Amino acid sequence: MAEAIAVRVRFFARLRELAGTDSGALHVPPSSNVEDVYEALRRQYAALPPVESVRAALNQEFVEWGAEVSAGDEVAFIPPVSGGR
Amino acid sequence: MRYDVTLDRIDARELEAVVLHPGAGAICTFSGIVRDNSRGLAVTHLDYEAYAEMAVPQMRKIGEEIKQRWPEARVAMAHRTGHLEIGEVSVVVSVSCPHRAEAFEACRWGIDRLKESVPIWKKEHAADGTYWIEGEEAKPV
Repeated sequence: MAEAIAVRVRFFARLRELAGTDSGALHVPPSSNVEDVYEALRRQYAALPPVESVRAALNQEFVEWGAEVSAGDEVAFIPPVSGGR
Repeated sequence: MRYDVTLDRIDARELEAVVLHPGAGAICTFSGIVRDNSRGLAVTHLDYEAYAEMAVPQMRKIGEEIKQRWPEARVAMAHRTGHLEIGEVSVVVSVSCPHRAEAFEACRWGIDRLKESVPIWKKEHAADGTYWIEGEEAKPV
């Protein structure tokens, strides 16, 4: 069994309030993707909304949910941005 | 080129000074202002929150996209965070070009891209409560 990898997670705006924290550390199995990270966080922070209403950023770049994470990565979960017209 | 996320008051004239140069015959500056109403309700003030370490690179990326489309453009952008009162400037995009047509187009394109891809969120304090604005949706806090 390969060793778990540590990632740093961050929450912003409404997700930060729902999680009750702005950041944390998480250990996930090797080859986990961003969605695996989010689903693990939803088990920890039950108020987090389903993946459909969230966007993910990996090391400050928007990514698809299938993007694989590596040790030391920063994974941020963010709501749709502010809008206006 | 200048890209800022700041807690301080934004001075549009300062951004215009950044993009001004002798070959620029036109500067187009968009200023976003905190409005006193939203969705038919009175708004008392706003709070903006940014993922600053990502927001500034995203702004820079938009500036580079503008340069690809309008190679002679120079760009400056700033977005404020924290507590903002009605009438205060929340965001400024300033673009200089040789002529006005492309300055208008590039500035419009820049603010539209900023609104969809720069991670900054608005919390609206309205008459009936507080909302996070997420795209077209207002979600009660």
